[in-house]
Amino acid sequence: MKLNAIEKTYAGRKVLDLPEITLKSGAVTAVIGANGSGKSTMAKVLAGIEFADGNRPAAEPLRVGYLPQKPFAFRMTVEQNLALNGGDEKKRTELLEALGLMFLRRSRAKRLSGGETSKMALARSLLGSYDLLILDEPTAAMDMASTLAAEKLIADYAKETGCAVLLITHSLQQARRTADEVLYLEAGKLIEQGSAEIILNNPKEEKTRQFLEFYGI
Amino acid sequence: MGSAMQKAIQLILTADRELVNILSTTARVSLTSSVIALLLGVPIGIWLGACRFRGRSALVVLNRTLMGMPPVVCGLLFYLLFSGVGPFRHLKLLFTVPIMILAQVVLITPIVIGNMETYAAELAPPLRETARGLGFRGWKRFVLLVNECLYPIITVYLLAFARAIAEVGAVSMVGGAIAWKTNVMTTAIMQYTNRGNFSLGIALGLILMVLSLLVNIILSVMQRRFRR
Repeated sequence: MKLNAIEKTYAGRKVLDLPEITLKSGAVTAVIGANGSGKSTMAKVLAGIEFADGNRPAAEPLRVGYLPQKPFAFRMTVEQNLALNGGDEKKRTELLEALGLMFLRRSRAKRLSGGETSKMALARSLLGSYDLLILDEPTAAMDMASTLAAEKLIADYAKETGCAVLLITHSLQQARRTADEVLYLEAGKLIEQGSAEIILNNPKEEKTRQFLEFYGI
Repeated sequence: MGSAMQKAIQLILTADRELVNILSTTARVSLTSSVIALLLGVPIGIWLGACRFRGRSALVVLNRTLMGMPPVVCGLLFYLLFSGVGPFRHLKLLFTVPIMILAQVVLITPIVIGNMETYAAELAPPLRETARGLGFRGWKRFVLLVNECLYPIITVYLLAFARAIAEVGAVSMVGGAIAWKTNVMTTAIMQYTNRGNFSLGIALGLILMVLSLLVNIILSVMQRRFRR
């Protein structure tokens, strides 16, 4: 799957300058980089939440799903939130069970804690049919057990549906556990792209190596 | 004062005919105007709050200016438009209930719009991101936004109703406070007090205060539920 080259400028400052990127369908691609490297901006532009310079569509006419960094619970029950995005009853139950939310399925979604809201929002996104699903730090508010369960669901979703999943994460451990491919961004530029195995263990670029050393890998 | 209060309570308990007439006119004017203001103001307020377009800021400023319009100015405007020298004199609406409703709609709608705009502006960005991320478009997104605004809508309605029922400037100018026809609670309190008939004024004042208390209780309950 090919994504168009993206340029994005805020107040005269170029915050994103990406070349054409190819993503593998049916695989998870982790996007790593420090704060302000352009990960979330990239996600928003790809999802059509923000426009790239020149209003050039970044990923159309693909069906793009997007889970924002701050998940939003609609004013209804957890079950109804999930049903909004389709999927059959069996699939919804499977996701709720896997994420430990079954006992909360009839609760008002607005009353969930931050971690529970993240889990519900992830389950809701995984019910959709997309060509590209962008998940912006979906496990940031989750505990370790939930994070591992969520990572498995994300990887399974990519394999079962053939969807290309773009996982934006701060956690290199998460990238190692979940991703098939890795993109490393720095100051809005793509520094390196390749298989997770190579990028996380033996990157070609010095900048990637420095980043990994700094974060302890 | 004591005997006036006693007489006032007696008027309430015996459902005095004039008192009942004033109450029914008040209910007709306030309920109708607040419902119309709600129907007009909610979609406009949500649109102003949720959408970004050229001229939006100017519209928000204009609406905020209208929110502060003194009721007597509104009354004067309608009086001039519908009186014997006004462009709408042929409609013969001056000193009738419909023009009182119309004047109140003009007074209250900006309040509904202003409040809904504030709520929608806060709710819309995260909702839009999520809804778009799920692939929802157009009406589905609007319905979800309205669903999020449900409690604010109730709260705003109660505010609009409270404003309508307590308003005196506009309704007295365009309604004329004609007994058995256009006299509402606030105009009647002024009229009967000026005439020295304190008991009916006190009775109406008591009812108005009780209504205000009820509105505030409902408002508090709604706000608590919205916060959850």
